[in-house]
Amino acid sequence: MKKILLTTLLAAGYLALPSGASAQDCTTKIGAVLPTSVDWGRPIAETAQFAVDQVNEAGGAAGCKIDMVLRDTQVDPKVGVDAAKALVDLDGVDVLLGAVSSGVSMPILTSVTVPGDVMQMSCCSSSTAFTKLAEEGKTDGLWFRTFATTAVQSAMGAKIARDKGYKSIAILYKNDDWGQDMARLLAADFKAAGVDVTASVAINDGQPSYRAEVTEALASQPEALYLALYPNEGSSAVREWLSLGGTQDMILANSLKSDEFRDKVGLQYLGKALGTDTASPRVASADAFVEAYKKRFDSEPNGPGLANSYDAAMIALLAMEAAGADASGAEIAAAVPKVTDPKGTPITADTAGFASAKDVLAGGGTVMYQGATGNVRFDKNGDVSAPAVIWSFTEDGIKEDEYVSLEQVDQFIASLK
Amino acid sequence: MIGVISYLVFFSTVAAILAIAVLGLNLQWGNTGLFNGGVVASFGAGAYGTLLLGGSAQAGHLGGYELAYPVALLGGLIFAGVLAWVIGVLTLRLRHDYLAIATFGVAVAFENLMRNATWLAGGAQGLRGFERPLRQTLGDGFLYNVAFFAFVLALLVLTYVFLERLTASPFGRMLRAIREDETAARSLGKSPSRARLVAFVTGSVIIGLSGALYATFYAFVSPQDILPILTFQIWAMLIVGGAGNNRGAMFGAFLIWGAWSVSGWALARFAPVEAQLFTGSIQFILIGAVIVGMLLWRPQGLFPERLIVSQPGDFSTTKP
Repeated sequence: MKKILLTTLLAAGYLALPSGASAQDCTTKIGAVLPTSVDWGRPIAETAQFAVDQVNEAGGAAGCKIDMVLRDTQVDPKVGVDAAKALVDLDGVDVLLGAVSSGVSMPILTSVTVPGDVMQMSCCSSSTAFTKLAEEGKTDGLWFRTFATTAVQSAMGAKIARDKGYKSIAILYKNDDWGQDMARLLAADFKAAGVDVTASVAINDGQPSYRAEVTEALASQPEALYLALYPNEGSSAVREWLSLGGTQDMILANSLKSDEFRDKVGLQYLGKALGTDTASPRVASADAFVEAYKKRFDSEPNGPGLANSYDAAMIALLAMEAAGADASGAEIAAAVPKVTDPKGTPITADTAGFASAKDVLAGGGTVMYQGATGNVRFDKNGDVSAPAVIWSFTEDGIKEDEYVSLEQVDQFIASLK
Repeated sequence: MIGVISYLVFFSTVAAILAIAVLGLNLQWGNTGLFNGGVVASFGAGAYGTLLLGGSAQAGHLGGYELAYPVALLGGLIFAGVLAWVIGVLTLRLRHDYLAIATFGVAVAFENLMRNATWLAGGAQGLRGFERPLRQTLGDGFLYNVAFFAFVLALLVLTYVFLERLTASPFGRMLRAIREDETAARSLGKSPSRARLVAFVTGSVIIGLSGALYATFYAFVSPQDILPILTFQIWAMLIVGGAGNNRGAMFGAFLIWGAWSVSGWALARFAPVEAQLFTGSIQFILIGAVIVGMLLWRPQGLFPERLIVSQPGDFSTTKP
C-alpha cells in the first residue's frame, strides 16, 4: 500500500515537472526600466517583450532563454534609478533597456550602469546631453540609443524650408528637453540653410489657450511655421494659429504624425503641411517587422518609439549572442559593432533572422542587423543616424512624399556644417 | 549575496537622503505648524546650488566653478536658506492652507524657472554634476557606495541630534507654543513671526541639504527631479511616520521609500507576465491605500509626538 502511494506520488511529481525543461534550462535575465504606468510607455514595453519572445523562439541568446524583468519608472528619476539598481544588484542583469525620458536615463547612466559596468540601451532618450557625456569619455562605451538624434529631424526641416524656398520661419516647440534641443538645432540649421528664424516660442503642456504664444510667433510675420510639438498641445496651438490668420505653410516634426492631430485640426488646413520622420530602410526586414507586429498586436506600430524599442531589445540580444555566455556588460557593449557591421551578413528583424545570426556569429562572422528603424549603426558616442522621409496628410492617413536615404541625410547634414 | 548588500546600501542611501528632508519638514510642520507645500523648492535649491558651484564647466549655461566639494555643498545650503528667507518674509504671514498654496506656487515657479532658463542651469536637459567626490581614491563600485552611505548617515544623525536638542530647548518650546496658540505665545512676549521665520529657514536649509546630497549621489539633477510629486512623497513619509516626532519622521522615510521600492520589486518578480505591464499602476494604488489607511486609523502616525513638559518646575517649593 505504502509503495503504491509512493509510486503515485512520484508519478504525480514527475508529471508536474515543467514539460519544456529539456536541453535549455538556463535563463539569462535582462532588465528593462520603462514608464509602464504611462499610457504611451506601455506599448514600448510590450514591443520590447515582443522582441524577447521572438529571440526565445529562436532558442534564446548566448545559449540561454531570455527573461526580461520589467520595472516601472513612473517617469520619476528616483524610482527609475532605484529600479535599475535593483535589477543590476538583485537580478544581476548585464544589459539594461531604458529609460524613455532623458531625465531618468541620465541618472541611471551616471549612478548605476556606468559604475556597475552594465550596458544600457535606450529606445527613446533624445537629449544631446548624452552625446556630450560620451564625447567626454564618461559613458565607458556602455551607452547606446536607437532613437536617431534630433539632428536628423532638424536637418530635414531645414531641407524642406530650403526646397520650398521659404525666406523666414517661426518655431513653436514643446517645452521639454526634446523640444528645447529641437529649437536650438533648428535655429542653427535654418540659419545655415539661409532661412531667417523670426521667432522661437516655447509651448507648455496643458494650457487651455496658446493665444499669447501664437500671437508672439505671428507678430514676427514669418512665411512659414515649424512645429516641434505633440498632438495634444500641437492641435490647440495650430488651431489658434490658423484662426488668427497664420500661414498654412507648415513643417511638422515626427511627433505630429498622428491621426489625432489631423482630425483635430482638419485636413483642409493641412494641405500645405509637410512632415519629417526618420524612416525604415527600403528592405524587406522593415516590412517584416510591421507584419509581425500587426499579427501580434492587431494594430499598426504607429505609437512613438515602438520601432526603436524593438531594435533596442533586438540589438542588445544580438550583442549578448555575439559576446557569448557569461559576458560582462562591457564585453556585450563591445560586441555591438559585430552585429551592426555594414559589411556583415544582412539579417532580418524576426525569429528567423535571429536564428541565422546565431549561425553566422558562431562561425566567427559578423552580421548587419536590418531593423525596424533601418540599418542601425552606432557612432562612437552610441548615437544612430537614420534615413528620413518627408510626408503629408491624406484622407485616409499619411502619404510619403520623399524618401531621403541615409547617405543623402548624412550629405545634407554635412552641407549645413 | 554581495548584490543584496550592494542594493541595500544603495537603497538606504536614498532613504537616508529623503529622511533628512523629512526631518526638515518635521521642524516646519511637526513642531511649528507651518504647512510647507513647496518642499521641492528648497530641495531643488540645494541640489542646483551645489551642482552649479561644484560642477565642471559645461557650454551653454552658468556653473562650472569647480569649487571643492564642501564649499559647493555649503553654497547649496546657503542658496536654499536665502531662497527660504525670501519666501518666508513674503508668505509667513499667511496661515495654514494659504501658506500651503503660496509655497506650492513658489515650488512650481522654481521648477518652471529651471525648466525654461536654459542659460542658468541647462533647462529641461538638466544639470550634469561633477565627478563624485573622492571617486579617484574609492573607485566606482561598492566601496564608494558604502563610503557615501556612511557620509549621508553621519549627516542624518547630526541633523537628528541637532533637531532633538533644538526642540527640547526653550526655542523649541516656543515653536510648539506658537503652533498651539499664537495669541497666547504673543501675550507672553514672544515674537511669533520671527520664530516662524527662523524655523522655516532652518527647516528649508535641512531640506536643501537633502537635495544637495541627492544631486551629489546621482551626479545629475533635472527639472524632473523637482516635480510636485516629491513634495507629496515627503509629506506622506512625515504623516505615516508621525508629525512632531523626529524618530517617526526618519522611520517614515525608510518605510515609505521601502514600500515604494519593495512593491515595485515584488510585483516585477511575482506578478504573472500579463500583469507585469500594469505593475506601475498597481503600485500607485497600493501606496495610496497605505496612506489613506494611515490617515483613517492612525492619523497621529506610527510614532506619535511625545508631549512632555520639558522643564518640570519644582512646584513644592513655590509658595502660593
